[in-house]
Amino acid sequence: MEIDDDLLANSDAGTEDDDEFVELAPEQTSAMDGMDPEEFPYDVLALEQVVTLMVDIIKEVRNVVEIPATTTRILLNHFKWDKEKLIETYYESDPDRIFADAHLISPSRKVAIACSKREIKPRYSVKENGEYVCEICYASVPEQLMSGLECGHRFCISCWTHYLTTKIMDEGMGQTISCAAHNCDILVDDETVMKLLSDSHVKLKYQHLITNSFVECNRLLRWCPTPDCGHVIKGQYVSDKPVTCRCGHTFCFACGQNWHDPVKCSILRKWIKKCDDDSETSNWIAANTKECPKCRSIIEKDGGCNHMVCKKCRFDFCWVCLGPWEPHGSSWYNCNRYDEDEAKRARSAQEKSRAALQRYLFYCNRYMNHMQSLKLENKLYASVRDKMEEMQKHNMSWIEVQFLKKAVDVLCQCRQTLMHTYVFAFYLRKNNQSIIFETNQRDLEQATEQLSEYLEREITQEVLRDIKQKVQDKSRYCESRRNVLLKHVHEGYENELWEYLDNI
Amino acid sequence: MSNIALTRIQREFKEVIKSDEVKNCQIKLEPFEDNFTHLKGEIIGPPDTPYQGGKYTLDIVIPETYPFNPPKVKFLTKIWHPNISSQTGAICLDILKDQWAAAMTLRTVLLSLQALMSAAEPDDPQDAVVATQFKQHPEIFRSTASFWAYVYAEAPRNEKMKEYEEKLKQLQEMGFHEKNSRITALSSKNWDLQAAMEFLLP
Ligand SMILES: [Zn+2]
Ligand SMILES: [Zn+2]
Ligand SMILES: [Zn+2]
Ligand SMILES: [Zn+2]
Ligand SMILES: [Zn+2]
Ligand SMILES: [Zn+2]
Repeated sequence: MEIDDDLLANSDAGTEDDDEFVELAPEQTSAMDGMDPEEFPYDVLALEQVVTLMVDIIKEVRNVVEIPATTTRILLNHFKWDKEKLIETYYESDPDRIFADAHLISPSRKVAIACSKREIKPRYSVKENGEYVCEICYASVPEQLMSGLECGHRFCISCWTHYLTTKIMDEGMGQTISCAAHNCDILVDDETVMKLLSDSHVKLKYQHLITNSFVECNRLLRWCPTPDCGHVIKGQYVSDKPVTCRCGHTFCFACGQNWHDPVKCSILRKWIKKCDDDSETSNWIAANTKECPKCRSIIEKDGGCNHMVCKKCRFDFCWVCLGPWEPHGSSWYNCNRYDEDEAKRARSAQEKSRAALQRYLFYCNRYMNHMQSLKLENKLYASVRDKMEEMQKHNMSWIEVQFLKKAVDVLCQCRQTLMHTYVFAFYLRKNNQSIIFETNQRDLEQATEQLSEYLEREITQEVLRDIKQKVQDKSRYCESRRNVLLKHVHEGYENELWEYLDNI
Repeated sequence: MSNIALTRIQREFKEVIKSDEVKNCQIKLEPFEDNFTHLKGEIIGPPDTPYQGGKYTLDIVIPETYPFNPPKVKFLTKIWHPNISSQTGAICLDILKDQWAAAMTLRTVLLSLQALMSAAEPDDPQDAVVATQFKQHPEIFRSTASFWAYVYAEAPRNEKMKEYEEKLKQLQEMGFHEKNSRITALSSKNWDLQAAMEFLLP
């Protein structure tokens, strides 16, 4: 996603903000508006807070079982953070066995066997005129710059830092980092690691590594899926509700996917698996170029709007169905519904399987198309920002031009919803309610395409005052259509009106 | 090359040159070109092994992050050993992978490789064919390994080799001209002439 901080510089003036996290352009919090009346209570935790939570549990266990903190953390990982089970097993069976199972050395025995029985023995630091020689870098350093663990192996602090950094950044090691000497199994404990590291990046990565299994084993905690974000959402119970991370990303608390209302997590999972399995066909669909249905010249899609105009022959057509655009603007917009009757006409087995593929392609095409458009809308944020500046030069106040950004937000939400309505529809068995759903879907899609068209094309042509009214009306209409659609699906869930097709 | 890596390598050079092993002509280390990132090592096949008296050249590449990551080492001299690829010279040895420690040196690497030549670990093989022979036909393995040492590493000749040379000659007369493939085929097939021939046929 592209980051557009200029646009937010104004609107964000009041919020407390740490520099580390740049907010993404769409105002994601509004994604929850009108979606669900009941609030889902959750907290966004920074990495340090997750570490604290984890350390608290480690402390609880250590109150009962007297073993070092880092060893306890690794044992807890081994027991999937079920502390009762750890304590119970610890007292009911042989602790040495537990340590062995977790690939740990019993803390009582470890110093004794710190040095190996192998023929190549690590050598100890040699004193040279009052200073020590570090066995790694061969530099001569004063005693206070040497460091080591209970095994007695000592290296200079700078080498320790290098060593830990290589382990953490290159090898992704966090669970168990042992002493830098050869064949020494003594663990470097978490506190020492943090003390010896100076780069905050490496520190964060280490904290991420040591808390990862703690978070993954805990049903009430979920990592934000944004790469390198490192925040964790803590819910009070597990539910498929949207949560918004401090980085601005909104996702489903139950499954971690992008927020996917109205489709359920399990259905979405099925769909994503199907898309992965059929990735070759879907790649073909996702391709960004198509031929003009009239003159066959290659047309590239460069915006989110599905109304295409061929640069060569000026033919207006729909990107999705490649049909003429004309009917799409009128009441008999008919691009969202796959005609099941037509499909039924397929008789032979071969035809049936082809029909199944075509049915899948139909939904996949539309799903991918909205996803693609959603990505392209980020470009729209930039052009809308230019427009907003221009309008401010024409005697409109800052407040007065905010409607444009708001309209792009609405557009993105609608695309996100539409995208998932096709997943929902793909698995839906036809009944009276599904027909109402398809009507709602069609209305929302039509309105969304019109809003997209306004924002992408007409905005550059029309008189400023006129366009404001038009865009505001259309975006309000879109919002209301979206709410109607979602409400209908949710009511359907409550009253068990939805039936799903099996074996697809 | 990072500062630590360069200081380390230069110091290690001095260390190796002064060491007893160099005096006894057991190991050798020299730069490939003028820089210290690419080195040439040499180890002598240890006594009481099929490699006894052989001279083995090693290719050593020092990574940017040395000594926090291990050097990349492979055999340039062809060798018949369960933990070393008979085709590429790649080595399977724990200290060149996850068991590497920053306080280890090139000297310890060379000595560990000598130790590996004395005590193979067929349960963690790099060359499955050699490892199988090692386990199922230890006698054939020993004589094959010493034959390779004689052919490729200038190790002394022994009686058994006459028979092997005879079989190689027979294969050559059948029209298989590439010497290394003939040796590999016969070695892999426990010196069964018929099986080696089938192995070589396209
Ligand atoms: Zn050092
Ligand atoms: Zn140690
Ligand atoms: Zn985040
Ligand atoms: Zn979900
Ligand atoms: Zn055209
Ligand atoms: Zn269409």
